[in-house]
Amino acid sequence: MQNTSILGRVAWNTLITLLYFFLLAPIIIVFIISFDTRQYLAFPPESLSFGSYVKVFENVKFISAFWRSLAIGAIVGIVSVSAGMLLSLSLVRYTFRGKAVVNFLILAPFLVPHIVLAVGIMLVIAPIGLLDSYPGIVLAHLGITIPYTVRTITMSLMAVDTRVEEAALVHGASPAMVFWRITLPLVRPGLIAGAVIAFLISFDEATISLFIVSVKASTLPTEIYHYLEYSTDPQIAALSVILILISIGVVVAVERLVGLRRAI
Amino acid sequence: MADHHVIIENLVKTYPGAQKPSVDHVSFSLPRGEMLALLGPSGCGKTTILRMIAGLIVPSSGAIRLDGRDVSSIPVYKRNMGMVFQAYALFPHMTVAENISFGLEMRKVGRAEREERVRKALDLVKLAGFGERKVSQLSGGQQQRAAIARSLVIEPELLLLDEPLSNLDAKLRDEMRDEIRDIQARTGVTAIFVTHDQDEALSMADRLAVMSAGRLEQIGTPREIFDRPQTDFVASFIGAGTFFEGKVAGPGVAAVDGLPPLRFVGEAAVGSPVRLMVRPHRLLLAGEDGQPNSFTGTVEHIVYRGQILTLSVRCGSRLLQADLPTHAGVLPQKGDQVTLTVAPEDVTLIGREAA
Repeated sequence: MQNTSILGRVAWNTLITLLYFFLLAPIIIVFIISFDTRQYLAFPPESLSFGSYVKVFENVKFISAFWRSLAIGAIVGIVSVSAGMLLSLSLVRYTFRGKAVVNFLILAPFLVPHIVLAVGIMLVIAPIGLLDSYPGIVLAHLGITIPYTVRTITMSLMAVDTRVEEAALVHGASPAMVFWRITLPLVRPGLIAGAVIAFLISFDEATISLFIVSVKASTLPTEIYHYLEYSTDPQIAALSVILILISIGVVVAVERLVGLRRAI
Repeated sequence: MADHHVIIENLVKTYPGAQKPSVDHVSFSLPRGEMLALLGPSGCGKTTILRMIAGLIVPSSGAIRLDGRDVSSIPVYKRNMGMVFQAYALFPHMTVAENISFGLEMRKVGRAEREERVRKALDLVKLAGFGERKVSQLSGGQQQRAAIARSLVIEPELLLLDEPLSNLDAKLRDEMRDEIRDIQARTGVTAIFVTHDQDEALSMADRLAVMSAGRLEQIGTPREIFDRPQTDFVASFIGAGTFFEGKVAGPGVAAVDGLPPLRFVGEAAVGSPVRLMVRPHRLLLAGEDGQPNSFTGTVEHIVYRGQILTLSVRCGSRLLQADLPTHAGVLPQKGDQVTLTVAPEDVTLIGREAA
């Protein structure tokens, strides 16, 4: 009995370790390859250097796309949190005709493959002349980020005791004041979590972006895709490592700041 | 009555889709500085009345007058009410001082005056030195005090308390009961509190308004409510008692099935049906049978409760409930034959004013 339980534990731990290794293996391999000196992607590397990293920072296309992605991500984050706040308020606090439909529409992007969404969004955006423009790509990204922000904000909002808002009203706060001084501060974790998730999704998104942008508003993921069409050198690996570090940095910073896990 | 501070007139609230009104033509009034308890079982409409006075619920009809002025159309945040919520509803993201200061900020009171008034409010509720604490660092009793300070600091027209003691444990409840009474007396604020606990209502309030199913059953001082209940509901909801149905046989005498004639004090037409009630502590142990209002029976059940002994005595088809002081000499045992007696003035005629 004792033996089997120890054996079982060893087997279990091995399984978990293998599973994690399987999940992390691509990242580890990309990390190692990024230091290779050869001009094509291969494993294991021949000799190591920071050469690819230097090339990434010298690549004007990557750098300008990086700033565009950053700006687009920031705008998407802010707009989807604002829209998410209004949607969450109406869904949590009010009952109205068609509430179930609105609820479903907000969740729908979770269910539809991104490639299908991409085609749909392109067909909507093209006639109004927003293809390859900032408003176009922001709108396209909002379509997939708002479901997430509505979720995080709704969770925070449901945790707010409405009697606390009533107490503010009774003691002299107008409804607008109650919103600014009570409701908004209390849902802050949900707002921040929503903004971060929206930013990260927008920053990483490739499928939909490929349909919407080409030259003027190209994002970093689309630039990476186009680069890969013609060349496969360790620059891509180096860039991937940088992107991973940025994502980890953002998540860790927010976790330290407000506790992301609590907000999701 | 017309010069009363608070006058509630024919207040009605019917929720959309409801069969019956939750509050059905309720009227009462309070002089300045009075503490009134709205007492009743859950769902009787007492909290709805409180919330209508606060302005959180819009009445279907009726008026809420403060110093003669109908405030029912004034929005909640301009009504200048203080309200202590059942779970206190303190602002969790603010310190105690910020919580108390909130109402003053909304009234655009200057910083220096705000700080002074917050300090005084903290003193009043014995929380001096707790101003910088977070709400989550306070005990239940301290949160209660902070909530009271938050309501009183704005010098409200009225202090409204929703089940103020229900979230506290028994010992703290007794302490806060005296505390709230004391604070109310010192500030002189007119107060209305809602409770389902008769002890709380009897011990804290100047007057009680007893409610049932949306209607006001009776309003009066604790003594009037306890000793002279005007309806069956009030008589049975407040305190225990043995009820008798009978017919008035002569002036001050009722014929009750299976018992000797019951003498009572009060006006009732001869021949009319009456309901009478005797409180358990009004029944006394008598030496012998034969006196007026004496009943002989067998002790069927005994509960020893420290200071009192509760007897259930079988008299024919009836079970009389009596509370005897335990220091009263030899106490009856189960199965003993005892004679109980009650003074005519201690027999309550339900539904009539005291003579």
